Amino acid sequence: MPVVPAVPDADPVQPIIRLEDVHKIYGSGEDEVRALRGISLSLDPGAYVAIMGPSGSGKSTLMHILGCLDVPTEGEYILAGTPISQMSPRALARERNKRVGFVFQSFNLLPRSNLARNVELPLLYAGVGRAERRERAHSALHKVGLAERAKALPSQLSGGQRQRVAIARALVNDPSIVLADEPTGNLDSKTGQEILALFAELHGQGHTVILVTHDPQVASRAGEVIRIVDGKVSNGGQP
Amino acid sequence: MTLRESIIDGLADVRAHKLRTFLQTLGVILGVGSLVAVQGLVDSGRRQATKFFDEFGGLTKILVVNRPSKEIVVTARQLASNGLTWSDALAIRQEVPNAVLVDPIATEELNIRYGDYERRHDVTGATPDYASVYKFYPARGRFLIPDDMESQARVCVLGDTAARRYFGNEDPIGKILTIDEAGFKVVGVMKRKEFYFGEGDHNALEWMNEQTFVPLTSLYARFTGDEFKRVQYINVIVDKVENNPKAAAAIRAVVQRRHAGIVDFEVVNRAERLRQRAEQNQVFNAVFLVSGIISLLVGGIVIMNIMLASFRERIREVGVRKAMGARGIDIAIQFLVESILVTVIGGAVGLGLGVVFAQIISNLIGQPAVITVQMAIIGVAASVTVGLFFGLYPAIKASRLNPVEALRYE
Repeated sequence: MPVVPAVPDADPVQPIIRLEDVHKIYGSGEDEVRALRGISLSLDPGAYVAIMGPSGSGKSTLMHILGCLDVPTEGEYILAGTPISQMSPRALARERNKRVGFVFQSFNLLPRSNLARNVELPLLYAGVGRAERRERAHSALHKVGLAERAKALPSQLSGGQRQRVAIARALVNDPSIVLADEPTGNLDSKTGQEILALFAELHGQGHTVILVTHDPQVASRAGEVIRIVDGKVSNGGQP
Repeated sequence: MTLRESIIDGLADVRAHKLRTFLQTLGVILGVGSLVAVQGLVDSGRRQATKFFDEFGGLTKILVVNRPSKEIVVTARQLASNGLTWSDALAIRQEVPNAVLVDPIATEELNIRYGDYERRHDVTGATPDYASVYKFYPARGRFLIPDDMESQARVCVLGDTAARRYFGNEDPIGKILTIDEAGFKVVGVMKRKEFYFGEGDHNALEWMNEQTFVPLTSLYARFTGDEFKRVQYINVIVDKVENNPKAAAAIRAVVQRRHAGIVDFEVVNRAERLRQRAEQNQVFNAVFLVSGIISLLVGGIVIMNIMLASFRERIREVGVRKAMGARGIDIAIQFLVESILVTVIGGAVGLGLGVVFAQIISNLIGQPAVITVQMAIIGVAASVTVGLFFGLYPAIKASRLNPVEALRYE
């Protein structure tokens, strides 16, 4: 598998994400499961993409690889010019911390920490000092309209508000990509629309946003839809 | 993530699970509590014993006492021995180089009369060295002097209680006390000696205040008429504690030679006694130490169990933290910090409980408890060790969780 080196001069727009023939195989022998069977795709910075597919299609696996939570069995993944495929768990943790902002379906806020503390979390692991952490957490909360509730606990918030906090947390480290896994799955449709509007706004500000969803309505909000079927891209990266 | 931040998160978790934290800390609380209480009592016991001994001779004192043979068939040679005598004391003074003070003592129960007062009391025949041996000095007048010994003077010195008993409110100095129909001039009254164990109101040294002293030579000449000049015991003060064993051996050799090889006496080395007692105490200390360590161990196992039992509800949290960029080591440190926090809280509470225990027990047995900074440090260090040791397994387990699976965990 030839590794394509990231040479800035060769390409005027460096893709933020490049997957080359990525395979992911779980287990071995008879238990072998081929979750991804050769996915290649390329995303430019500032893209707004939806990854769609039925359950079992491999879209979750793809999301894990894109989010540096897992590495491909075969193939190459280059995130913001950095090859990820061969990285150790420790190096992966660093990449996640620096380059990926996660938004989950079930929000995944720490229940015993207040909003500011929750939003600070990626900065804590990045080793950012206290004063700067506070300032950045505050400005991230401000972006999602919850700055005045910084001392509240997640349990005191509505679902939509919690998801906003999660988005603030995803943005606080100024990541290369925001990766949202069914971000409206636990919300009513009106709140879901608000959250999608927020993603559109982030896209408008130049963030690269990747939505993983099975909901066509949600996917339609993105600029581009990648359909995954049986571990392969079925539309060749075209909407 | 810094240690400080881990502690902040750990404290939040401890606060959120008060009952769980309480259960976790219970073993450590009891372990540290019992360690501190027992150690406090044992320490104070040792200190009191040493202080008490210091009141009459300290650790440099060696006592030579009569110890007649317990054998039923007594040989002629044994029968011929007179036991300890004044000349034994003189020989010790001459032949044992480390002996600084040698003080033979004989007592005799005699009739004492002054004015309306008349009763039988023990009268102590002593030498001038007695005052230095017992650190017992006159409040007024003087103690016995060498001249008194040589002239077999009819003078006496009284302890504080004895003086009050015989003379009431009168000043005894210069008065004549009648001992077995012989007039003895009171030349001195001693300072009071007092020592109280703990809160008790029993003066352990009151027997010294009840003494009536006459020169040893006068006791022989005026009352007992003992041609062998026998004594009850001989106190020897050695120059240095380190020389105690050497001096004790020398004394034993001198007296045995003078008694024609018969061992009808015993040489009691006080430093040796104290050491033996400390050795005996060590057995008790070890028992309490072991029981304290066992409760700490049990406490540690409880902590590990509860950490593992509550592990499931934290798997997702670990997944989230890892997704946010936490490395394995960050997770491990966080878990360790939490278990150490729990044990340190337990240790601190245990320390307080130990002090209360020690106070209660010391009130019951009338002996003060000493809680030292050193013990506090040991208690806290033990707690940290327990937290570290028993937190290690859950911490490593958490640090190794796969982030994908941890995030998926319901």
